[in-house]
Amino acid sequence: MAESRIFDLAVSPHIGSSQTTKRVMWDVVIALIPALIAAFWFFGPRALLLAGVSVGAAVLTEWLCLKFMKRPVNFAFDGSAVVTGLLLAYNVPAGVPWWLPVLGSAFAIAVAKQAFGGLGHNIVNPALLGRAFLMASFPVLMTAGWIAPMQWKDGERIDVQACGVPTAQLSESGELDALSGATPLNVLKQTFTWEGDPERSEEVRSMLFSRESLKNLFMGRIGGCIGETSVIMLLLGAIYLILRGVLELRLPLSYLGSVALFGWLFGGPGWLDGNALFHLLAGGVILGGFFMVTDMVTTPVTKKGRIIFGIGAGLLTMVIRRWGGYPEGCSYSILLMNLATPLIDRYTRPQSFGEVSSNG
Amino acid sequence: MSKVKSFAGGAHPPGNKGLSSGAAVVRLPAPEVVTVPLCQHLGAPSKPVVKPGDEVKRGSVIGEQNGFISLPTHSPVNGKVLRVENAPMPHMRSGPAVVIKTESEDGGEVYEPISDWKNADISLIINRIKEAGVCGMGGASFPTYVKLSPPEGVKIDTLIINGVECEPYLTADHRLMLERADDLITGMNILARVLGVSDPCIGIEVNKPDAIKLLEKKGARVVRLKVQYPQGAEKQLIDAAAGREVPAGGLPLNVGVVVQNAGTCVAVADAVCKGMPCIRRITTVSGLGVTSPGNFDVCVGTPVSTLIEAAGGYRGDVQRLISGGPMMGMAMFTDAAPATKGMSGILALTPDEVRDVAEGPCIRCGKCVDVCPLRLCASVIATASEYGKWEDAEKAGALNCMACGTCSYVCPAGRYLVHHIKRAQNEIRAIIRAREA
Ligand code: SF4
Ligand code: SF4
Repeated sequence: MAESRIFDLAVSPHIGSSQTTKRVMWDVVIALIPALIAAFWFFGPRALLLAGVSVGAAVLTEWLCLKFMKRPVNFAFDGSAVVTGLLLAYNVPAGVPWWLPVLGSAFAIAVAKQAFGGLGHNIVNPALLGRAFLMASFPVLMTAGWIAPMQWKDGERIDVQACGVPTAQLSESGELDALSGATPLNVLKQTFTWEGDPERSEEVRSMLFSRESLKNLFMGRIGGCIGETSVIMLLLGAIYLILRGVLELRLPLSYLGSVALFGWLFGGPGWLDGNALFHLLAGGVILGGFFMVTDMVTTPVTKKGRIIFGIGAGLLTMVIRRWGGYPEGCSYSILLMNLATPLIDRYTRPQSFGEVSSNG
Repeated sequence: MSKVKSFAGGAHPPGNKGLSSGAAVVRLPAPEVVTVPLCQHLGAPSKPVVKPGDEVKRGSVIGEQNGFISLPTHSPVNGKVLRVENAPMPHMRSGPAVVIKTESEDGGEVYEPISDWKNADISLIINRIKEAGVCGMGGASFPTYVKLSPPEGVKIDTLIINGVECEPYLTADHRLMLERADDLITGMNILARVLGVSDPCIGIEVNKPDAIKLLEKKGARVVRLKVQYPQGAEKQLIDAAAGREVPAGGLPLNVGVVVQNAGTCVAVADAVCKGMPCIRRITTVSGLGVTSPGNFDVCVGTPVSTLIEAAGGYRGDVQRLISGGPMMGMAMFTDAAPATKGMSGILALTPDEVRDVAEGPCIRCGKCVDVCPLRLCASVIATASEYGKWEDAEKAGALNCMACGTCSYVCPAGRYLVHHIKRAQNEIRAIIRAREA
């Protein structure tokens, strides 16, 4: 009879899919790289510098927090801090001083994430709370630091404008080429408030919604935050995530669909005459839709909940864009919905298998 | 060709069936000593009726039925009882067993065949299935005769034979369907007659086209099923094959359905037509940790180490030994444990095959919710369990969980969701018992 052997016990299941938290996080990092390349192309090396210091600050802060709380420090390298650092940098204009994203990232990690218990326990998206903190503390820097994208001339790249154009000036001068200095959403917002000059508003709007303008939005040849402008590069990243099985499409699709719908409903001066495509392409909707609305930790776990989240965030985005105090509402809308997530989860818990018929 | 059916949810773990699906069943002779468990079926263990020194015959009863949900146990060999003792078991730490020294393996005391089962008294057939000790051969080992005696007023109109075998690695049912197709169909027809069902069917995943073809050629009605784990779970199978949702906390008979495993059908045919009690079964021995994976027809009571030897012995670094499949099977601490009626496979897995990760924090990705075939929020139940909030766990549906493991399988954080949920189930049941007492 065979000699018997002893083995370790363990609970079932004994096998697992190859997807791990670390792999998910690094996949998101990889998916964010194309947008960084676009940022480098349009905003110059400064974009890389800001992203770099932001990521560095995020990882360092995470490491310090873990060390301080005597938790395993290798959590700092699971990729989640890198994602937060990158997203924070993507949400500031390219013209801000380098210490601004550093501060934002440190706040994001220390206050929005670690203070709540670290990965998986935070209520709101750390990068977005970091950005909100910067908006509240340094409003001037955050809204005047726009850099006009590089432009082409005779096959050469030229830097047309290196510094920010205060938006107030823009509205008064009303020069067309000044559009490139501020963000398209800034301009749109102002057309809603120019009093007594409806014709001029109409003219500027039709320019914003022109083919040329939409094409620039798609490519990213516009003013805006570092990582949000190039729709095509962001989509490239999103496709990568879908192929890797990381992206669940309910969140992005319901969000984008909701932005398009409400953008058309009330995104223009009157009812039912907004430009849905413009609202999708402008500002942070694509970045938000594929990389922030989809943040797993701060969004619902139920399928129905994800759809409600997306629709709610889209609605809020458009309400802020149209009537709020800021030209862009993407990040605030997501933050607000993050707060509603526990509630959404509670009320959308699916009826478990066989529960319906058990009453019958 | 009929449409390929399925259920909602689930996952697609790699099947790894190619390791053993081509290997024809090899009949292993009884080993020198068999350790026959008295607790092979679900319910009360059989009561031993032999003592050390007794001579036993192949097929003679060594443990008698002990209650309604219980079964008798038979000796698989002619020989002499050495001991009646507690021995290590594949599905629990240890349990009562009769240790028998084998002398020979032929003849013995089998029952009188009921060759005219088409006209025989139904109670006679049910009784035979009971006295032959037939239980579910798919893993749960529920006494088969109980399922054939529905309570008064319950009308069964559908019989589904489970030939799904959705657990990765396992190929025993696949080989059984190929090599014992006639007995399988006979067993199915016997069960159909007992239940009064006119048109029984066999559910098979489309990754076994040869079995589908063969059984259809022999006139059986086959329902093609998508390859998707856990397609073979009773409720999912009924949903896919009959389009009926078994109520939460209910049984298949609540929707007029009885499900029996393919191996059970063969055991029924053996018991009824040949008078042979349930003393052997076909089981898969596989995993990268054995030299030549295969399928074996073994006596119950054969030590697992003997099975491993039959498969060429261990190979390389074996990290885990499992009774059953890798999704729901139990890790065994020793290969001295014996084969049972419900043992669908033995897997020796290497570190490359086993996922052995430290449990990380939940990142709330929702994957566990997406895949749960019973539409439970595994993460919510598990978290409640970790914090000892049993009531919350119960409200979230902990008791409905069938421990299929799909949620744990997909969890990127490597959480032991099933473990936490099972723990909650135990606590909740204890609370309920205490409340009722
Ligand atoms: S799959 Fe794991 S990490 Fe994702 S929600 Fe479920 S428990 Fe959390
Ligand atoms: S183990 Fe339970 S909770 Fe997890 S997928 Fe299976 S039934 Fe759902």
